Parts: sequence; C-alpha cells; structure tokens
Amino acid sequence: MKTALERFTVIADAEFQLIRITDTVKAFAENCGILNGVAFVITLHTTTGITINESLPCVEKDIEEQLERLIPSDYPFNHNHYLPSYGTIGGNSPGHLKSLLTGNHCVLPLVDGALVLGNAADIYFCEYDGIKKRKYLVYVMGD
Amino acid sequence: MSMVIDTHIHPALFAPICEDPARFHFRCDEMNYHLMSPVDLELLKKQLALADIRGVFLLGEDCSYDRGQSAISNEEIARLVELEPELFIGFASVDPRCPDAEETLRRAFTELKLAGLCLNTAKCRLYPYDERIFRLCEVCRDYKKPVVLHSGLCLERDAFSRYARPADFEELIAAFPQVNFCLTHVGWPWVQETAALLIKYPNAYANTALMNFDGPVQLYHKVFKEDMGEYWVEHNLADKLMFGSDSPRIRPVRAKRGLDALKLRPDVMEKLCRKNALRFLGREDQP
Repeated sequence: MKTALERFTVIADAEFQLIRITDTVKAFAENCGILNGVAFVITLHTTTGITINESLPCVEKDIEEQLERLIPSDYPFNHNHYLPSYGTIGGNSPGHLKSLLTGNHCVLPLVDGALVLGNAADIYFCEYDGIKKRKYLVYVMGD
Repeated sequence: MSMVIDTHIHPALFAPICEDPARFHFRCDEMNYHLMSPVDLELLKKQLALADIRGVFLLGEDCSYDRGQSAISNEEIARLVELEPELFIGFASVDPRCPDAEETLRRAFTELKLAGLCLNTAKCRLYPYDERIFRLCEVCRDYKKPVVLHSGLCLERDAFSRYARPADFEELIAAFPQVNFCLTHVGWPWVQETAALLIKYPNAYANTALMNFDGPVQLYHKVFKEDMGEYWVEHNLADKLMFGSDSPRIRPVRAKRGLDALKLRPDVMEKLCRKNALRFLGREDQP
C-alpha cells in the first residue's frame, strides 16, 4: 500500500464561509500516483469543518443560517471568558460548536485514478471563526 | 454606518515588526499574549474590514527604564504607519522614568511624525500626578498632540491598577486643557469615575476597549447599560466616547458587535465610531 500527503492553505473572506475545495482535492488525489484507494480530507483546526454538499448559493446560505439559528453568535457561552493561557477572551465557541456538527474530515473513494463524487457533491472547507490562515490535509491511501 | 476608527490596537502581532524571534518573544511575554503567531498585514486588513474599520490607532509601549527595551518601539510604530499611511495612526510611547524621555518624545513627533503619545502608568508604576508625566504632557501641548492614557485594570505582566485609577488622572487633565486625553477601557472597573471626568472636562475622552468578563454583547451591556445609567451614553457622553477594540485580546469585529448590540441611535453611533476620534485627533475637518 502506498500513501500520499499534501497540506493546503486557505483564507476566507468572512467569519463564516463555505469554501469549495473540490478542484484542489481532486487535482492532488488523481495525480498522486495512487490509482485505487481512499482519500481523506482533514482540517487541522477546531473551529473549522470539512463537509460535502451541493454547491448552490441558496443551499450554502441555508446551511449558514440554520447553523446560526442552532448556535447564535451572541449566546452567553461558557467559553466566553478571559483565558490566561492566551491573554485573550474565548470568543469563538460558535466556531467550536459548528465544527462539532460538520466534523473535521470527509472520506472519498479513489477508483481507477478518479475521485468518486456524486453529481451534486462538492467538498467544502468550512470556516466558522474567520478570518485566519487555515490548513487542511489531503491524505490518500491505496495502490 | 460609515467607516469606523478603532482607537485601541496594540500591533504586537503585526508581522512586519515580528521578524526578530527573540524580540517577539520578549514582547509577548511583557504584554501577556501567549500561543499566538505573527499575522500578515493583508490578513489583518481583511479582519479589520469585517467591521468596516478604516482607521486604527496603533499604540506603542515603552517600559524600557527597567525592562531594557520597549515592547513596541516608536520606530516600529512608524514603520507600520509608513506601510499603511491611510489606515494606521501611530501613537508614540515613552517611559517617563527615562532621563531622555522628553527628547525621545520630541523626536517621535518631529522625525517619526507620530500622531500622539500613549502612556501606561500601571506598567511604569508611576502615579498619574507624577511630575515626569506632566513634563511629557507639556511636550504634547507644545506640539498639539493628544494623549492616550491606559486607565483601569491592565492585564499585562507586572502592571498594577492603583497607578491607573481614572480619578487620579484628573489633575493632569485639568492642567492641560489644550491637550485631549483618552482614558482607555472606560477605566474599567472604575467606570463611573471615568464618566465623571468625561462630563466635567471638555478635553477628556474615553475609549471602549473592553475585554474582561463574558462576551462582548454581555460586557458592553453591563458597562454601558448597568454600570452606567440607561441614557448616559446617548444623552451625556455621546461626544466623549470612542470605539476601541483592545485587539489582539479580542478581534475588532467581535468588539464592534458588542457596541452594535447596544442599539444606540445612528447619530450617536456615528460619533462613537468615527467623529469623536477625529475630533480627539484634531482632524474634525477630515471626511
């Protein structure tokens, strides 16, 4: 079995943003020298997520608004307090909780050198605590 | 809402002045910022744009008399202003205990072209009525420059609040009616002392820069609707308060969300977010 790993950087334009990374993931997975196996897309952060959904602006907006209804930004979270370990206020609990809902990764099959995605499926890097410089991994395992 | 001026940012993590790892470590240790990395200016500008911030007071920090070096030097502030002259408004910092403090301040105004002075008496352990501070304010008066005074609790290392109680700045503010003074953090926790000075002295201002308990929405409500009376901001202090974030302890867009949640009248928000800062700087005629 062979493996291939690559790190990618992404920077959002807003505090909340669903960033389509399908083309980047496909380009790496389909050219890494592995023909059949699985590709993992993994974020390295605890206030971001990786998810798969349909790339329509209305769907993206519904996801954003539903997450905001579930986890209002101005709710008095336990995390909202001075953190001596950072010297800052813990103001990003909504990001942590939204990350919990989408998870930190997705997994896709790689078959005969092609990444298998449904017709309506796109891979998103989900920024919930922007704007920051973020990193995610694509890790491919197979032969 | 038009453009916003953030009157309280410590550029401790701004990448162009973080090239020396040892100095960066010293600064973060002094200012009590941990587990954070330098941030590129382009990314910082995107963060500021989230709150429509188009002007920023960059505050230097000099406690070099017993620390051996300043945490953020006047030269570093000037370098940042040179990189973004339309965005950054640089404030010098001088340790009043240094024998050459007045000369250093004159040089900051004449050679480095900085816009004002920032003093942290809690950090330098000087009472606000110390004559060395008065001498620096004479320089500010001569050069027509405003003064930002750290007031209230200071979260930095080895800084003590008893040197920065708002009421103790009264003699200084009274002695220099030509100089505009800004009491930072609304003097928290002595908010009412700050409010008292604001209504008495035309040259006294305060910035919000709150970052202590809870999230910004809860904290701004506590300070401006409970610690202060319901109508104090809109009816009494609308010309005296300025928005400030206290970044990097809190991101500017989040601090601004706390101010927005007060749901102040649009004309009052315009003053707090921009007009008062321009008047404080002596730039009222600037659009």
